[in-house]
Amino acid sequence: MKELMEILEELRPDVDFENETALITDGILDSFDIVALVGELNDAFDIEIKPNNLVPENFNSAKAMMALIEKLQDE
Amino acid sequence: MQTSVLERLDASAAAYADKVMFKDPDSSLTFSQFDALTRRIGTALSRVANAGEPVAVMSGRHVLTPACYLGAVRAGCFYAPIDGDMPKARLNQILSVIQAPTMLVDRAHLEMAQTLDFDGTLVVLEEIMDTPADEAVLSARAATLTCTSPLYVIFTSGSTGKPKGVITSHLSLMTYIDSVSKVLDINDTDIMGNQSPLDYIAAVRDIYFPISRGASTFIIPKNEFAVPTALFGTLNREKITALCWSVAGVELPAKLGAFDEGKPEYLKKLCFSGSVMPCKYLKIWQENLPDVLYVNQYGPTEATASCTYYVVRERVEDDTVLPIGKPYDNYKIMLLSDDNTPTPDGEIGQICVSGPILALGYYGNKEVTDASFIQNPMNPNYRELIYKTGDLGRWAEDGNLMFHGRMDRQIKHLGHRIELGEIEETARKVEGVKDCCALYHKEKATLYLFYTGEATSKEIVLYFRANMPAFMVPRKLVNLEALPALPNGKTDMQTLKTYFK
Repeated sequence: MKELMEILEELRPDVDFENETALITDGILDSFDIVALVGELNDAFDIEIKPNNLVPENFNSAKAMMALIEKLQDE
Repeated sequence: MQTSVLERLDASAAAYADKVMFKDPDSSLTFSQFDALTRRIGTALSRVANAGEPVAVMSGRHVLTPACYLGAVRAGCFYAPIDGDMPKARLNQILSVIQAPTMLVDRAHLEMAQTLDFDGTLVVLEEIMDTPADEAVLSARAATLTCTSPLYVIFTSGSTGKPKGVITSHLSLMTYIDSVSKVLDINDTDIMGNQSPLDYIAAVRDIYFPISRGASTFIIPKNEFAVPTALFGTLNREKITALCWSVAGVELPAKLGAFDEGKPEYLKKLCFSGSVMPCKYLKIWQENLPDVLYVNQYGPTEATASCTYYVVRERVEDDTVLPIGKPYDNYKIMLLSDDNTPTPDGEIGQICVSGPILALGYYGNKEVTDASFIQNPMNPNYRELIYKTGDLGRWAEDGNLMFHGRMDRQIKHLGHRIELGEIEETARKVEGVKDCCALYHKEKATLYLFYTGEATSKEIVLYFRANMPAFMVPRKLVNLEALPALPNGKTDMQTLKTYFK
């Protein structure tokens, strides 16, 4: 979780990732943030995020992202 | 010869009355509903604004926004679209340039508008939408327009830190729309999928193809671009046939693997512009959609969105470099060398453009206008203005124009045009930033800021987020003891580039 928070903090230091739960639904992260984020997460956690993973439920909060990362690492 | 875009709107409203003209996920407007709405808005605006004045329009990503633009035109005015999601400081800068006596806002942006440095008349769309149209007033206002009247003012980054408002006339817009619809064969069977923000130059096709050609436009919600499966789902549900997108927008679905899950089944035409297309992404589109017409377009806002186009007939490879092609109808392109003489064929020169598509200049800024729009140095006999784009080009042997980058420090990032000098001007305003240099890592599409001083990267980013549009916020910040310098004292940008991560 710490590593994820560091990546998020560097990507968008203006966003409160501890508490936000509608990062995509409310448009806080835009499409270009997502492209940058997907690349960084794939590299940092040695996973491959697929297009069908790119749904708001998986990216609306840091917690949801962590759950997705763990799920993909288990596969 | 039409005197204004209003004649085109009158004609399309009569020809396609009950057909859908604009649609978003929540609502839609037929041609006759849209036309009637512009007349009601125009009537209401004519009571507060004089003909020939700018009307600032701050309205969201929905079908009513194009009606606000054309409503202003019905009142004999021209519109200055403003993105209400930008930080307050940026909006105030734009308002200080346009000095509009009237601002039209939708209710969602009213609260924001009330906090801005604006002391003119604030008109709320939802409060005037039901004004009965006064046809006598509307014809009197329409009669004040000529084809060289301003149609809109669109703002772009300025290197001195102040945005520049590019003024486009009715004639320029109609000329461009006719030329580009000919190349793309846009007609009344086409459904456009709008990607561009509605306040941005790239949206003029999505707004004026319906008005000029009877096409329909679907306004795609912004956050669907973060969810590629939803994006292609929307293109198929709405049976979208034509896309005029930024290169950044075309790259997105290819980058995020959207074609693994499906493809846009109805798509026939894809025009992309704004920056150089990396062909490894175009290749993915071509492999999945081999029969689509692909058009690479090049040109600045100052020449009404474009200059040249290239129809991609070949199958591209990862390393293919696309030409920017040939001039559109009514665009004259010439290459000039530093001494203002014609550049010999095969050599690199500055791309200059002339024709009825030239902007009327920068709003309220004679100095920059006069420096950028100059008499054609090859023509001593009569008045012929050209615009020096600052872009470098070369005529290839096959007659196509090739793009060779910029002469100055202007970059294209995520489809937007940015002056690196403006990034630096902004960073210098942050307390604790002493010296800085902004650079663009093209391959990674990342904006870097190298700086000296005590400020933390978080403080700098927060300042940018509060004062600049999102696409102008540096993504990587590097704090240095000192900026590397050349013997003449200038910042050594080549050395800085080796610090890219």
